[in-house]
Amino acid sequence: MTIATASGLALVLVTHVAAGSSLAATPAGVTRPNQGTQATTPTTPTGSSPPSNSTSTTAGPGGRRSATGAVEQYGYGEISVKITVQGTRIAQASVVTLQTAESYSQQLAQQIIPTLQSEVLSAQSAQISTISGATYTSEGYAASVQSALDQLGIK
Amino acid sequence: MTELVRHHEPVMGTVVSFLIDPGPLPAPEVHAAMEESCAELHRLDGIFSTWVAESPMSRYRRGDLDWCDLPEEIPVVLELCATAKEISGGWFDPWAMPGGVDPTGLVKGWAVERATAVLARAGVAGALVNGGGDVATYGSSDGQASWRIGVQHPWRADAVACIVEISGGHAVATSGRYQRGEHLIDPFAAGLRHREAGARAASATVSGPSLAVADALATAIMVADSDALGTVEALRGYSAYRILEDGTEEATTDFPLAGTRQPCRSAR
Repeated sequence: MTIATASGLALVLVTHVAAGSSLAATPAGVTRPNQGTQATTPTTPTGSSPPSNSTSTTAGPGGRRSATGAVEQYGYGEISVKITVQGTRIAQASVVTLQTAESYSQQLAQQIIPTLQSEVLSAQSAQISTISGATYTSEGYAASVQSALDQLGIK
Repeated sequence: MTELVRHHEPVMGTVVSFLIDPGPLPAPEVHAAMEESCAELHRLDGIFSTWVAESPMSRYRRGDLDWCDLPEEIPVVLELCATAKEISGGWFDPWAMPGGVDPTGLVKGWAVERATAVLARAGVAGALVNGGGDVATYGSSDGQASWRIGVQHPWRADAVACIVEISGGHAVATSGRYQRGEHLIDPFAAGLRHREAGARAASATVSGPSLAVADALATAIMVADSDALGTVEALRGYSAYRILEDGTEEATTDFPLAGTRQPCRSAR
């Protein structure tokens, strides 16, 4: 079967970083609410100082290992991606930090989120199969994925 | 209860996620089907990528490839683009893109739809294929007749704005202002200016039988005016949901929201 090896993905991502984004970008929240392996970092409030590029790796049961990639800049702010691997195979990829930094977003973050927040459903507990969403820019996503793979020692 | 099979395939500048309910199909056949499905995505990316200078689509855009020499998929997609342009009232217009006709706003959904059809032909009981947020479904999910899909919250990475519940064979596509990578163009703006500050919605979601059409319509209603949802509602089988930049939500009356939650106001 086609298994995306981590090394294969890394090569693809390096290409994309060099060539710019392709057709679109990355999965909007490929969250897997049923697996419970995600440590979601809350979105940093806009307007605060940028998050540091601190990273972390964790080892889980069954040879699964996770790493959260560095926070990378993208068009509208900052993004970081958590990668879980089983051996050298990427088992899961999810966006753990998404910060919007444009002025329009900052205004919206202050004015609007309290309204929508009352309706917010946690993606972790919503019993959903997947998430439909606009894609993030591939450069920032790819760079964060790459740094997560580097931490896991996967070339 | 069968175990769902998951796979993530990096392709088309994104990651395409598979969630497959194999049903009684033996594992080797499930894996062969998934391999064929992924191969189809890579093949279509090779034809349509506008980031690869030597792809047939890139060559056609700069006039290096004649219409009669095109792979058969390109005229098929451009015809679909023409249909989408018409039914969207002109708000989806690949011919208004800088650098020549660009079907990017439709082709990802179309490719994911084709990849899902490969799985259906192979006989899996059910499948959900998510191409960077554009979701196609087929059949059943672990014995359930419907699939539940979260719509990404436009301002919170860890939340969904609502949940849609659709039966197999239906699709959901979302376009959003929180993304980059797909330029939103207002085809009616003078001089084809980028509407970087002018898009009217923060997020637009369309559900319907075809992911290609839903993808195009979601792109369209991101930039369309206040009657955008009416345009979608008039199309049989399609429904829409938008979050405007001031946080207002609107939806067509038949948008398949799960549960009892209703958007703040109906489009009509």
